[in-house]
Amino acid sequence: MADPADTRDAALLFPIELTGRGFYVTVGLLSLLILWGAIAYWTQFDEGLGVTGLHQPVSWGFYVTNFVFFIGISHAGTLISAILRLSKAEWRRPITRMAEVITVMVLFIGAGQILIDLGRPDRMMNIIRYGRYQSPLLWDATSISAYLTASIVYLYIPMIPDIAILRDRVGKRKLLYTVLALGWQGTEHQQKVLNRAIAIMAVLVIPIAVSVHSVVSFVFSMTLQPMWRSTIFGPYFVVGAIFSGIAALIVAMLVFRKAYGLHGYLKPIHFRYLGQLLLVMSLLWFYFTFAEYLTAYYGNEPEEMHVFWAKFSGPFWPFFWGMVLTNFVIPVLCLVRLGRRTIGKVLIASLSVTVGMWLERFIIVVPTLSNPRLPFGEGIYFPTWVEWGELAGSFALFALFFVLFTKLFPVISIWEIREGREVGLKEVEERLLTYLPDTAEPRLAEPERGW
Amino acid sequence: MSRVTGAPDRMVRALQWAMAGLAVLFIGGIVVWIIHLIRTAWQLQDVPSASIGISLVAIPVFLTLLGVILYVFVGLLGDRGGR
Repeated sequence: MADPADTRDAALLFPIELTGRGFYVTVGLLSLLILWGAIAYWTQFDEGLGVTGLHQPVSWGFYVTNFVFFIGISHAGTLISAILRLSKAEWRRPITRMAEVITVMVLFIGAGQILIDLGRPDRMMNIIRYGRYQSPLLWDATSISAYLTASIVYLYIPMIPDIAILRDRVGKRKLLYTVLALGWQGTEHQQKVLNRAIAIMAVLVIPIAVSVHSVVSFVFSMTLQPMWRSTIFGPYFVVGAIFSGIAALIVAMLVFRKAYGLHGYLKPIHFRYLGQLLLVMSLLWFYFTFAEYLTAYYGNEPEEMHVFWAKFSGPFWPFFWGMVLTNFVIPVLCLVRLGRRTIGKVLIASLSVTVGMWLERFIIVVPTLSNPRLPFGEGIYFPTWVEWGELAGSFALFALFFVLFTKLFPVISIWEIREGREVGLKEVEERLLTYLPDTAEPRLAEPERGW
Repeated sequence: MSRVTGAPDRMVRALQWAMAGLAVLFIGGIVVWIIHLIRTAWQLQDVPSASIGISLVAIPVFLTLLGVILYVFVGLLGDRGGR
């Protein structure tokens, strides 16, 4: 059936129906990086962790930094998407899908870092057979499993109506789309089921997402290591996660806007709103960082001060001040006035934060292990080509997963855009009228009485 | 929106219910694993309260997720059958 809306949103189906040369070039380049990562992993698997820069006392390096970084980015999706959905922010419609995809992809990559860090992946079986819930590492395994499950469900359920559009319109992969569409016809009952399930998931994923990064922080803060043992590590990590998640989301939006010509859907206003969110998170991140370091400095505990000075003026100073520059100075300068060239400024700020948040994770993990409370000498960590390969391969794998996703499914939710046109406009008008003082509010409950 | 399907309907339905079955197996497996950890902690008297405490939160979360998945599968597939 030729639906006029089908032609209106045809741009969202082009990437699925047509494949240009750019796609193959991108996949080729990403595959090269992944190959480097695969060779690095094979070398490590064959020769052991000795080929990396990991040693005593610095037994966690790039892999654990990547783990914390990728799990942090995962907050882009479910958390931002769920909050925007629950708060009925209409501008969310073209961005929720990308946010949800990022979450699922990076959770796989992030969890994979632990397998790489183990050196021998067969040791994963020890967690399954002999896991002990006294260990925060097992809290991590449990909460990440819950988050991954919830994120996949939260990505899939809102995709069902779009998969049905693909089933009816796109000539290829018929069986895949027919199976995944679950017989969607858009009946009143099906819509009720879908809306209810999305609402439940939106409420459910928020505490799960918050718990995940709190638990990731507990891996550090439950130890007695200097500058890890902190009561604010949970919220500090959650704030950092949302911060990096928004930055990654903006970068992804800009890449696909350019690659697939989605200028009509991802407008400067979306980047302005996300940029403002990023600015707020930058200030919040700085507040937490300041509180964290001021408390350590004021306590003046000798072991903590070793780590403190190693970061401020010791061997880690370029990373520490680089982190402050990229997470605070550059974003604030770019985002404080978003008058002209909004998109350019937001892009610079987002790229800067992405680098900065990786540095932040590194500066949390490595300097403490270099200056441990245990009677070791100061340890210096130099990553080898193996770790650089894994780093490049992990980022490339994430990008490849995302690109492949866009070849199979719409990167912007078609049905939500249509719903916005057909229902959203009227709803917003009605809602706005209820906010205003000179219009009658529908009597939903007992009228409020004065005290 | 009309449904155009080239695949035999029976096979499609079987695959769809297999997806639901996979979800039950996956989440069921996690719940069984958590129970196994409680049992091990109990047998070894290795602070079983920690395992029980965490399980009291984790298991209902996983079961709620499974509930939502099954609700969607039954709700959508059931409606198709009723047409």
